[in-house]
Amino acid sequence: MTMPFPVIEVRKVSRVFRNGDIEVQALKDVSLTIQKGEFVAVMGASGSGKSTLLNILGCLDMPTSGDYYLDGIHVNKLDKNELADIRNQKIGFIFQSYNLLARTTALENVELPLIYNRTGRFSSVREIARRALEQVGLGDRLEHRPNEMSGGQQQRVAIARALVNDPAIILSDEATGNLDSKSSFEIADLFVQLNDQGTTILMITHEPDIARFAKRVITFRDGQMLSDEPVSERNSKAEALRTLLPLTSKK
Amino acid sequence: MKHFIKILKVAFQAINRNKMRSFLTILGIIIGVGAVIMTISAGEGAQQAVRNQISGLGNNLLMVYVKSEHRAGVEVRMGKELDKRDLEILNKNSVWMPEVSPLVAMGVQAVGGTGYKTTTIYGTSHDYFNIMSRTIVMGEGFTEQDVSLARKVCLIGETIRNLLFGGEDVLGRQVTINKVPFTIVGLLEEQGETGMGMDQDDLIIAPYTTVQNRLYGSVNYNMIVASAVSEEHVDDAKAEIIELLRESHHLLPEEEDDFEVRTQVELQEITSQVTGTLTILLSAVASISLLVGGIGIMNIMLVSVTERTREIGTRLAVGARESDILTQFLIEAVTLSAAGGILGIAFGLLGNLLIYKATNFFVPTVPYSILIGFGFSALVGVAFGYFPARKAARLNPIQALRFE
Repeated sequence: MTMPFPVIEVRKVSRVFRNGDIEVQALKDVSLTIQKGEFVAVMGASGSGKSTLLNILGCLDMPTSGDYYLDGIHVNKLDKNELADIRNQKIGFIFQSYNLLARTTALENVELPLIYNRTGRFSSVREIARRALEQVGLGDRLEHRPNEMSGGQQQRVAIARALVNDPAIILSDEATGNLDSKSSFEIADLFVQLNDQGTTILMITHEPDIARFAKRVITFRDGQMLSDEPVSERNSKAEALRTLLPLTSKK
Repeated sequence: MKHFIKILKVAFQAINRNKMRSFLTILGIIIGVGAVIMTISAGEGAQQAVRNQISGLGNNLLMVYVKSEHRAGVEVRMGKELDKRDLEILNKNSVWMPEVSPLVAMGVQAVGGTGYKTTTIYGTSHDYFNIMSRTIVMGEGFTEQDVSLARKVCLIGETIRNLLFGGEDVLGRQVTINKVPFTIVGLLEEQGETGMGMDQDDLIIAPYTTVQNRLYGSVNYNMIVASAVSEEHVDDAKAEIIELLRESHHLLPEEEDDFEVRTQVELQEITSQVTGTLTILLSAVASISLLVGGIGIMNIMLVSVTERTREIGTRLAVGARESDILTQFLIEAVTLSAAGGILGIAFGLLGNLLIYKATNFFVPTVPYSILIGFGFSALVGVAFGYFPARKAARLNPIQALRFE
């Protein structure tokens, strides 16, 4: 089980935001290691620092102090262009509001990260994008545009986009936040399937029953890690849907 | 390079997704480029027309005027008027000018058999027809004797014949000019309109003595025209005129000429200069519309950057470099303005054609006007596209992703 290096290794990372004279400590000395194949849920109230952590992990933001190693690369030392390339090659982002390009087909949306790939690793862009869409169960929606799809389907396109560059880790920022419960569980279930196939996933969520789909749950409060525990009883799609039944029958 | 092509594709997709807006964005450029092409071409057309007209006068033509100055917008005659004495000195002593004619022009009312017309009568000597290269197609014209005796004879242009005599044979018939009856002794060859739309056949020519005595009531001339023996001796003729007229006007060596002599070549230069200036001026005005078109592109691009903030954030998040975003938006702007340039060229060419069809005023499409129009529009694209593109590239991805 021991890997040459963990996918994510964060050592004593702090992030301070300065706004005039006011200093806000969004993260305080956070240390975290995520190995390949893990499925981590991050929970916490708004302002607990979980989004700041995600931005740093996603190489969109830099820590004020502390070190961050992504897949063995010391991220602190990279310049803007190198960070862009790291995001392109090592990270798959999933957002709460999908962030798909409007008036653009699912296929073209999924191709997006490949357009900016400078390694020349992906030759048949269209084919790879198609396979990613099939992987998330949208093989029959290749030419659909975002406005022709449901929220759950749009999020699946976004997941395919995050998968398409074969990243070291997928970072999900409240992927189910805009979805109804049933779609939420389906997305969470998709995460489980992807994780089972070997994808490393870190997801931020507000919902405890979604968090329980993961293998490990980290809780944040006031910029510090409150708890970091494995999930003893993992949730599943079937079980989660069962909890929905009495609610729907009550109506 | 391969990467650039990918970015190029992205930019084209973005334009394609907003067809209507893209078109409206470039409308300003289309009109601007079209206007630039049309004004430059119209200027060139006018210049050519004037040049043709002046060279039609013959290359050995010289003209003498009373010196005048523009004062507060009014032309003021400064020098001594030209009169009989000047004409006689030129006639007697000239070596280089075999033909000299005074010119007395005035607006008159001419009445004929079937109608009347307000026209211009030119009082000249019999040499005038040779000097101005006007051919007499019917009749003999008037003679030296007609001039010295101030006979009431005249030649008319085609327009006058049509209006006053219904196009009939006019030789020997009478035309009443400001109540003075003249006998028609010749018909001038038709010359049509000038490039500027002036009818060259709407005139009457009569002996200057008659015009002075019967109509003009002055012993002065508006002008003296002459032709040099040959084109090479035009400058000699000019020097001769200056020498003779200075003598005639009793000018002291330190005094300036109180008259002006223009050769046909000088005349051509002056008019070219005037039309050239006019063209530049008009093009400048047209360029302003191009500038406004460019600002329109910048405006839309800025709106587009704001509107697409989330898209830009997404692109940055999935690994686009700042330079990728900059390139994409710059390509969008340049493509838009270049497309506007091409459509503008088509618009300008079509406009030139329409002007030609509608007014018969030939507008040559000057190749450099197309270059200027297109170059300008591409420049406008880069210049006005850069600022919005930079704005897009410098967006903070975290904020851009959450932008509502």
